[in-house]
Amino acid sequence: MTDCVAAHGCITCGDQAIPMRVAIVDSERGLALCSDAEGRRSSVETALVEPVQPGELLLVHAGTALARAPGPQPAESAAVGETAP
Amino acid sequence: MRFVDEFRDAELGRALAEEIHATVEPERHYKIMEVCGGHTHAIYKYGVDDLLPSNVEFVHGPGCPVCVIPMGRVDDGIALAHEPGVIFTCFGDMLRVPGSTETLLDAKAQGADVRIVYSPLDALRIAKENPDREIVFFAIGFETTAPSTALTLRRAKAEGARNFSVICSHVTIVPPLRALLESPEVRLDGFIGPGHVATVIGARPFQFIPEQYGKPLAISGFEPLDVLQSVLMVLRQLVEARAEVENQYARVVPWEGNPRALEIMDEVFTLRDRFEWRGLGFISESALRLSDDYAEWDAEERFAVPDVRVADPKACQCGEVLRGVIKPWECKVFGTACTPERPIGTCMVSSEGACAAYYNYGRFAREREVL
Repeated sequence: MTDCVAAHGCITCGDQAIPMRVAIVDSERGLALCSDAEGRRSSVETALVEPVQPGELLLVHAGTALARAPGPQPAESAAVGETAP
Repeated sequence: MRFVDEFRDAELGRALAEEIHATVEPERHYKIMEVCGGHTHAIYKYGVDDLLPSNVEFVHGPGCPVCVIPMGRVDDGIALAHEPGVIFTCFGDMLRVPGSTETLLDAKAQGADVRIVYSPLDALRIAKENPDREIVFFAIGFETTAPSTALTLRRAKAEGARNFSVICSHVTIVPPLRALLESPEVRLDGFIGPGHVATVIGARPFQFIPEQYGKPLAISGFEPLDVLQSVLMVLRQLVEARAEVENQYARVVPWEGNPRALEIMDEVFTLRDRFEWRGLGFISESALRLSDDYAEWDAEERFAVPDVRVADPKACQCGEVLRGVIKPWECKVFGTACTPERPIGTCMVSSEGACAAYYNYGRFAREREVL
């Protein structure tokens, strides 16, 4: 996750959200292990966007996925040359 | 990164800026408030204001959650951090927000167990790892962040985490906007609306701005092209004498918001009768507290909280900055006594604060202008 530094803005306390790719889904606990563009991984609450599947791109704020992020989702990833981590 | 880089394209930015220049009426002066601190940060970081005509002015709004927290509320958090046996958790920017006598960082230096978390879920994890300690989470933020706290509280309740509690300082965006529109000292022509708050509550709650006050609003994304396009949308409405809510950030923001987020917030929170906002004073029904069903996880019920109102330092003009009455550099202590390293006011603490954003990026452009 991004630190609270001036260069990036504070993801958690500002009105910011970052796109994160789903790697592993734990549907029983309502969590998913996700990674950001720089490959940093963290657990994300998925209750607001369920069901999710590996490869989907979520918009994450303060550890919670608020929406599906704009961008290639799994079905179209191959077509645009993007792969899930 | 795809779907980010495209919204930072310099050529497209210049084309949008040309359209803005062609749209504005030269004899008019346009004051557009960007409500959200994230937009303020983007405007200064990418130099968006440098691309605009001189008669289009950004006014920075109250949408930085750290900046609007009053000093007394910071003192409440610090008092809890000093409670024996407490692990106090908060987002990073809160650490340096000045209370009346110290910051949370000072409290940490004196031995209080204060830890930075990136989500409320991290705080709950700390609670599970430390069953013999009391873990308090300082919940701040607008409707973007409130669902995250709500989901964590629901999880804490389901898992029976009795050593976890929340000091809830979540605020809502509509009441301060109404207060600003009612203020005689603030004259605004239009608004850039907060994109991620609207992801949760939708675009609909902003309709009162055009309907009751005749001002246009464009819900905006956070990349520089998003902001430029939103400015163009607001200016076109003004030139065409229209006033409506337009959704520039439709790739993420649904008109009705996220119903699951609204449902969980409704379950976990209830509106406070009133809440003090830095610079705006007390505003009715503008903040959230835990509902009776979650009273057991309410730190204000579990601990004695001072709850004392503290006046801001006289030198600090954060209130006027937050109301858009003065620009950051017009504050008497901006860049001298008050800097991001040693902030006096909250607007200089958070990177989304207008003063910190201007200090980090904008002041160089102004130095050029002054020379």
